[in-house]
Amino acid sequence: MSAVTHDVVVIGGGMSGLMASAYLAGKGFKTALISQGDPVCCLSTGCVDVLSPGTHPLEGFDGLPPGHPYRLVGRKGIEDGCRLFKEIMATTTIPYAGTVRKNREILTPIGTFKTTCLVPLTMTGAEGCRDGYTHVISFNGLRDFYPSYITSRLKNTGFSLYDAGITSTLGIATRFEDKAFLEAFIAWIEGLEIPPGKVALPAVLGIQSPVQIMEEISRRIGSEVFEIPTLPPSIPGLRLFRALKGALTARGGDLYWGKAVGSVECRGSMVEAVTLATQGRPSRVQGRAFILATGSFVSGGLFARIDTVNETVFDLPVYVPGPRKDWFWNDFFTAGHPIEKAGIEVDGSLRPTRSDLKNLFVCGSILAHGEIMKNHCGHGLAIATGLKAARICEGFLS
Amino acid sequence: MIRTDVIIIGGGATGCGIARDLALRGVHHYLVEKGDFASGATGACHGLLHSGGRYVVTDPEAAKECITENSILRKIAQKCVETTGGLFVRLPGDSKRFRDSFLTRCEEVGIGTEVLSPSKALDLVPGLNPTLEEAIQVPDCSIDPFRLCMLNAYTSRRRGGGILIHHEVKEIIVEKGRCVGIKARERLTAQVKEIRAPIIINAAGAWGDRIARMSGSQVPMTLSKGSLVISNHRLTNMVINRLRPPSDGDIIVPNEAVCLAGTTSVPVEDPDVLDVDASEMDIITSQAGQLIPSFGSTRLIRAYTGVRPLLEATCKDGRSISRGFRIIDHENGMFSILGGKLTTYRLMAEKMVDVIMGQLGLNVPCKTASLPLEGQEELSGYPLSKRLKGIDDIVCECELVSRRDVEHAINSLGIQYVGDIQHRTRLGMGPCQGGFCTYRALGIMQELGRVSTEESLEILKLFLQRRFKGIKPALWGDQLREEQLIESIYLGILNMESKA
Repeated sequence: MSAVTHDVVVIGGGMSGLMASAYLAGKGFKTALISQGDPVCCLSTGCVDVLSPGTHPLEGFDGLPPGHPYRLVGRKGIEDGCRLFKEIMATTTIPYAGTVRKNREILTPIGTFKTTCLVPLTMTGAEGCRDGYTHVISFNGLRDFYPSYITSRLKNTGFSLYDAGITSTLGIATRFEDKAFLEAFIAWIEGLEIPPGKVALPAVLGIQSPVQIMEEISRRIGSEVFEIPTLPPSIPGLRLFRALKGALTARGGDLYWGKAVGSVECRGSMVEAVTLATQGRPSRVQGRAFILATGSFVSGGLFARIDTVNETVFDLPVYVPGPRKDWFWNDFFTAGHPIEKAGIEVDGSLRPTRSDLKNLFVCGSILAHGEIMKNHCGHGLAIATGLKAARICEGFLS
Repeated sequence: MIRTDVIIIGGGATGCGIARDLALRGVHHYLVEKGDFASGATGACHGLLHSGGRYVVTDPEAAKECITENSILRKIAQKCVETTGGLFVRLPGDSKRFRDSFLTRCEEVGIGTEVLSPSKALDLVPGLNPTLEEAIQVPDCSIDPFRLCMLNAYTSRRRGGGILIHHEVKEIIVEKGRCVGIKARERLTAQVKEIRAPIIINAAGAWGDRIARMSGSQVPMTLSKGSLVISNHRLTNMVINRLRPPSDGDIIVPNEAVCLAGTTSVPVEDPDVLDVDASEMDIITSQAGQLIPSFGSTRLIRAYTGVRPLLEATCKDGRSISRGFRIIDHENGMFSILGGKLTTYRLMAEKMVDVIMGQLGLNVPCKTASLPLEGQEELSGYPLSKRLKGIDDIVCECELVSRRDVEHAINSLGIQYVGDIQHRTRLGMGPCQGGFCTYRALGIMQELGRVSTEESLEILKLFLQRRFKGIKPALWGDQLREEQLIESIYLGILNMESKA
């Protein structure tokens, strides 16, 4: 069996794991990131919700329950996380706009507005589109975006359909990276005689270089252009993930991608290694410290059985909000079903409280009491706790 | 105002069966249904075309009706019935004496049986509990209740009958002590239609008493809810029954790509307030797991419950009350038909229409037992080959429903809700339960100008809430995982959260 020793082994390649490992790799620690596959942030809008859907993202901070992970991070931790995230993204082709001082608005694919905090540059144009004319451009046969939702809801809008010869978001986004496709598309828009105003498209303007593509279209047609997120699979989510993954490898992190943790080795109160369930010979990844960032149910960090909830890597004790009949409200639309509270309870240094492991730190949506939907802290919580876990590891290792 | 000869209230199997029977006997009629077809007990049953075996020991009379109707429906409704055959499985500890009387009664009633050794039974259904003592094969089948209603209604429509779905009866018009018509309100537009006829048939099932009371009458019935669970896989190709006196969770029925397991029997008061309890889920999954062990580890995609409208009796246990039916002449122009079961819907319709013909002084014999249901030739059924035809434009990936199928359903009569499209195409019936395709189906409805902006979000909300009600009892394992993703789409990406 091959064995490699790292300073830190991060398990889980989502937002939290990527942030933690990018930070530690950047500080010169020998960092490994293990992930079963592409994370659930690929299904997100790519926007970072920090907290509170009001004007100020942190206005709800004081109202958070005592056990909420943000309490362990503090306002400053949230600000630091968001700053680091923006710094990292600024070095990629997917820069972000926004600060934790003020929320922004994006347009949703059903024609409503959604408040969020950090926004990819390609979506910022949605702000103020209530005031003037907006022309929505979509694509023939595109399954996951219907301009009629938007044009029938927003006044002063119109739409046109382009035939991209392909009907999936991923397919169209890939075509936009092709210069000839882009040129033909721009020529088509120029022939449309759209009234003055903004031009909105589903988020398919390329995968690697969306800002460049958006600016090119905008410059040529003389209108501001912006993107509207679509249903999963979401291109802005995919871009975000690829950019962060790239940032990690650029900092020298090691990736074990597409591999699940098969078993865990502990000695006393220390985790020594994890073994990956790879085909052929299993590989053993040793580390001095471990970060658990496997996420909640969707990403598979937690798994609900008929009567209990399991943590899937270390089998850590899981906080479960009562018996199964109490996991969900009857009303679907009440965000914050009780099951959202499920997860790993940790102490101030993000160690699981009901375990004696000393070199294991937990971050991201697997943390108990996060209630991400209810508190509107999707990605924000992952970023802030990911950075916090990384900093604690840094202290632990030095 | 509309004038007709007979008004039928209720678009379940009974109501639709009556409409077809009247149409074939040349009597003009209108059928009024408050939801879609089969939205009451008909659509919420397990889709089992009984051989009669289930009732043969406790109610031989009902069993006899079942086996007769079973063989009729297999002939006239070929495209609705899958002739799966069924097994009554005896597990260790199950009474041998019950088994003996089962076989004797089956012979008396005329239900063909074959006793199978464990190894023979396991050859037929490899997933069965290998510790079984024996199995008895009977001619149980699975039946598609929704399609059955649609086809019955189709005959009615073709022959000039009026069918109004999504119209709720708000008033029975009574003049000089006689029922002479109804006022029905269309759900979406709130428009009220007045229909007049000398005869009104109350085939409203669990809502029958409510209808009767509108004309000052009553119908005595007991409501008993039965809950069922849908598994994500077709774990058996035959209907599996437990060979013991009827009790909770002793039937598994294969249906298209899934299996339905149930049922329970719990008395209820209000047919509009129904939930599947966590305890019912526990009972059904553990009982079904005794018949087919892998049921316990199979992903469950949804649970639902329906109300059995049973004839009133002093005994409160829903199972010992006869599943037979009764026709009540209220002697004011209204007739109620109540009780019964899906398997005997045709017989019930025949008896009801016989009474009506007497009232109208007409003498035309019933033809429903010999004429095959019209319109079946257009049904494609589930075959993958047909579903894959529209593969380049799939709207629902779980059930392979193409945009063309959806557009066809939207353009057919009466489609106003996503649920209607679902019933007609299987859109949203798979593991994600419409999580992705509902948004798409509504987008297409908007593009075709079938719904306005205000309506579209309202319909989407209604659908999501109804969907959630169905999956909530089954939320653990992968289904919980999927649910959290769907929640993040609608409450997160689309920001549809209710503003508290």
